[in-house]
Amino acid sequence: MNNPTSRWRAGASQPSESSFKRKRGVFQKDLQHMMYGFGDDPNPLPETVALVEDIVVEYVTDLVHKAQDTASKRGKLLTEDFLFLIRKDVPKLNRCTELLSMNEELKQARKAFEVDEEKLASID
Amino acid sequence: MKKSKDPFEIAFEEQDESPPESPTGPDENEAQTPLTLDVSGDDDISNNLRPTDPSTSAAASIPVGTAGPTGKSKEEDEEEEEENMDVELGKLPSSGDPDKTAIMQTILSQFTEGQMSRYESFRRSGFQKSNMKRLLTSITGSAKISMPMTIVVSGIAKMFVGELVETARIVMAERKESGPIRPCHMREAYRRLKLEGKIPKRSVPRLFR
Repeated sequence: MNNPTSRWRAGASQPSESSFKRKRGVFQKDLQHMMYGFGDDPNPLPETVALVEDIVVEYVTDLVHKAQDTASKRGKLLTEDFLFLIRKDVPKLNRCTELLSMNEELKQARKAFEVDEEKLASID
Repeated sequence: MKKSKDPFEIAFEEQDESPPESPTGPDENEAQTPLTLDVSGDDDISNNLRPTDPSTSAAASIPVGTAGPTGKSKEEDEEEEEENMDVELGKLPSSGDPDKTAIMQTILSQFTEGQMSRYESFRRSGFQKSNMKRLLTSITGSAKISMPMTIVVSGIAKMFVGELVETARIVMAERKESGPIRPCHMREAYRRLKLEGKIPKRSVPRLFR
């Protein structure tokens, strides 16, 4: 109370161990393009972008906390916990299953690509 | 629930007023200023011609344009957002029906510049995997966040941003305002989404914000 500077300095020397030392504007660039793509102005207002970032971070935080609640019975946090959470929201669920299957496809394609390269190398 | 019908129409009407030379990045804002300048030098003529052409073609193609996005808005979310990953924009995925891809091709071929630019932003934008992973790690406290989990959360978050922006545009339409979305619209949109139950509710109240 008497010397606020020392308290401030003490807080700054601590390493950022968990979520509360969040920098502003982490998603700013991505959000600008995203908001334009979804219907906003080509140059969204900075305060709007900051507000959307706050909303999104809070949304993700609450989503993860809820997923952890369902995952705590099992132990580990899995992707299925998130899919369970959004099961009522059909567009999101479809989109996520699509993303996951595409990820699998790309993984298989990359593995096949590496196998081909090995074959080519062994021929030489 | 046709929530995405109006915001796209509003956005297209706005594209008539502002030059549709919408940049993919905020740095290219200088391209928009020639519209407001007088036609003084020869340099400006080419700049001034380009904004007028898309606006007339935008006016001509708006019936098609509005039919396109309104029809594709839900399908868009479900199917065509795959280009978010390493795949290029030109290579449309063949995993859907050939009918749907054919319809998409016809729609895309009739896009104006502005519409194409916005669509490109829509497809390509996304949250950086590294940033999202860092955020997830800091929330969960555990170090192991798998890549599929990051992908899923990024996809969910992107669609959530879409819902926010579209609802904010609906709010603006009701208030008969135009221009960029302001924080007051966004807060109202957030409130409405909360009423609809799309926001996960905290069982424990948030302390020490």
